[in-house]
Amino acid sequence: MTATSVNPKSPARMRIRVNRLVLYTVLVVVTGLFLGPFGWLVLTGLKAPAELAAAPVHWLPTHFQWHNFADAYRLIDFLGYARNSLIIATLYATLVTLSSAWVGFGFARLTAPGKKTLFGILIGSMMLPQMITLLPTYLIFAKLGMVDTYWPWVLWGLSSAPYLVFLFRQFFAGLPRELEEAAIVDGCGYAGMFWRIFLPQSWPVLSASFVIAFTWTWGDYIAPQLLLSTDRSTLAVAVMTTYVSSAGTPITNLQAAASVMYVVPILLVFLVAQRGFVAGLSTSGLK
Amino acid sequence: MQTHARAPVSRRRFLALSAAGAAAGAASLGGCALQVSTGVSGSGETVTMMVKADDLSPDLVQQAKKETGITIKRVDYDITKLIAMLTSGSPPDLVRGVGAVDAAYFAARDVMQELDDYFAASSVLRLDDLDPVNDLWRYDGRSQGKGPRYGMAKDFSQDSMFWFNTAAFDKKGVTYPSETEPVTFDEWLDDARRLAQRSQGQTTVFGGSYNGLVKLTLMATMTASAGGSLFSDDFSRVDFTTPEARKALAWYIDYCRLKVGPSPVLPDPNGWDGPTYQAGRLAMSNSGYWMGGMIGTDKKLAQVSRLAPAPVFAGGPRISACQGGTGLWMPRKAKNKDAAWRVFEWFFGEAPAKARASSGWGIPTLKSLRPLMPAKEEYQKRTLRAQENELRHFSVVSLSPYISGDAFEALFNQVATPAMQGEMSVDSLAGHLNSTINQQLKRGKEQVG
Repeated sequence: MTATSVNPKSPARMRIRVNRLVLYTVLVVVTGLFLGPFGWLVLTGLKAPAELAAAPVHWLPTHFQWHNFADAYRLIDFLGYARNSLIIATLYATLVTLSSAWVGFGFARLTAPGKKTLFGILIGSMMLPQMITLLPTYLIFAKLGMVDTYWPWVLWGLSSAPYLVFLFRQFFAGLPRELEEAAIVDGCGYAGMFWRIFLPQSWPVLSASFVIAFTWTWGDYIAPQLLLSTDRSTLAVAVMTTYVSSAGTPITNLQAAASVMYVVPILLVFLVAQRGFVAGLSTSGLK
Repeated sequence: MQTHARAPVSRRRFLALSAAGAAAGAASLGGCALQVSTGVSGSGETVTMMVKADDLSPDLVQQAKKETGITIKRVDYDITKLIAMLTSGSPPDLVRGVGAVDAAYFAARDVMQELDDYFAASSVLRLDDLDPVNDLWRYDGRSQGKGPRYGMAKDFSQDSMFWFNTAAFDKKGVTYPSETEPVTFDEWLDDARRLAQRSQGQTTVFGGSYNGLVKLTLMATMTASAGGSLFSDDFSRVDFTTPEARKALAWYIDYCRLKVGPSPVLPDPNGWDGPTYQAGRLAMSNSGYWMGGMIGTDKKLAQVSRLAPAPVFAGGPRISACQGGTGLWMPRKAKNKDAAWRVFEWFFGEAPAKARASSGWGIPTLKSLRPLMPAKEEYQKRTLRAQENELRHFSVVSLSPYISGDAFEALFNQVATPAMQGEMSVDSLAGHLNSTINQQLKRGKEQVG
């Protein structure tokens, strides 16, 4: 008897169906848990202020306040802040992806004394909380005259990021040795080998790295809040701090509407790059 | 092949290329538009102000440029950033602060500029025109309320007062509190208990809120209302076991245990009283005059809202302090002090101050601006009468320079939560608070020296 000829009502078939039902139920519940806060954010963005404090809770707005989105857009220089975020995120994501690929290639394909120790220190640095380095970071950039400029993101981008280095190192270490040998036979040095052979092979990881770095920076509140003045800051900071009345009280529904608009670009980046993102994580052995 | 592939020259070249790439990247980027200039084009000076969005809108920045010729660069208020800027030696020229909790704290750390000479020479901010609330920004090295001036409040309220909604009282048949004579704290709590409404285990209408501005000001002010002081004479210790401080603490713990209003164990999701009060879900709100700005925007709400005096403890003095007094101060190392003072004068004594005074969001801090307070409608006149009557009972309650409001808040909430849930007695709590907060005060005193 082959698998295709199993009786639809056989115990094996029933077991498969029950297993799938359980699996899909769990997946739907988990998806609901993850989407719940976002759904609540969208609904809050569509409510009138009085409904926010209603008891019992109004799950759905009595009248959908679609104009909240337009109001949230107009209340602050939304586009200006979004542009600042986009510049910083794109700049950092591009630079850090390339620099991390470069460093990851070195760790994967070259030998040098102390390489393993150096790699261990690099990975260990991921455990350092950002709060600890915050003040020293500010002091360094202040001494260099880089406060209120985008230069810190350039320097951070050129310095590579430990997690991304790890991602690239894992990917490059998995490529066959023959590729490297063939390139050397053809007279290619390590730099040429990196640019002409290894980098073109690594689109999935490049894509994953770019998405990760872009979302880090787009969502970062602490660094822009610390280093940039109000008018030059990012959307993350503006959404958090500027939706207040003239008396300093929060305008929650507009802040929720703005938060929804703030999330959209990240969703778009992920949707466009998700195939590469997933493939990148899979091929680097981090799945 | 393998040997060739790992030739030292090639590795060196790789590393050299890495370094060169980084340098070339940085250099080439210098030519593009990455450099965000912090300089100002054209004439005039620039003053950096660390404020919150509501303190200074972009429109006000433009207005300042027009009326003073000075360009204001805004920096979002953030305590970490402020400390970083102070440490780096490049502080903002003016910084937002809450007079009641920040003045002594920063003055004791010698980072604030004394402003007495500026005040003495100013024709806009005359000393005889300053409301007594501005004394919150004075510190003589030991006590708040005396000594040099370090800042000024932009507006204020007597934050122990409370608003009440007559419709909620009518619904429950509870007698209104007087608008001129204070109720006792026990009477207030009894009313709150009768006004609270619950359904299926959920509080649908809070009887009343009473949390002060922060726990530090709440506890210090209530202890003063009980006739004592939360701090020792040199402000280096708290003592919650004195009869007065214990009375204040016991009352607040009762308030939390009874769940008649928002508290750390029953937080209001709205984060502040305004929306809850407006939605008819809060019968009494421990907010001073400033919340009248919001109430005034809702005519129906304004008709049923009354402002009542700060409660007292039976037999205790009538204390009605300002627990905020938010304003600006000038760091001692500010780069552009004269221009900063000009902006200071403009902000506190000219167009922005007049606009604030007439908005109803707080009492102006210059006596000459009081006629601008809204008094056209009947409910505005009524509120103003209650407020003017209460001003006679204003006093500065001094706080310790050795602990910040945030630190006190965090420690208090952490230690007191079991007591609020009925799992710890007030006497045990008083002991725990003493040991925990006094440790922090000791550290603070060591820092100040």
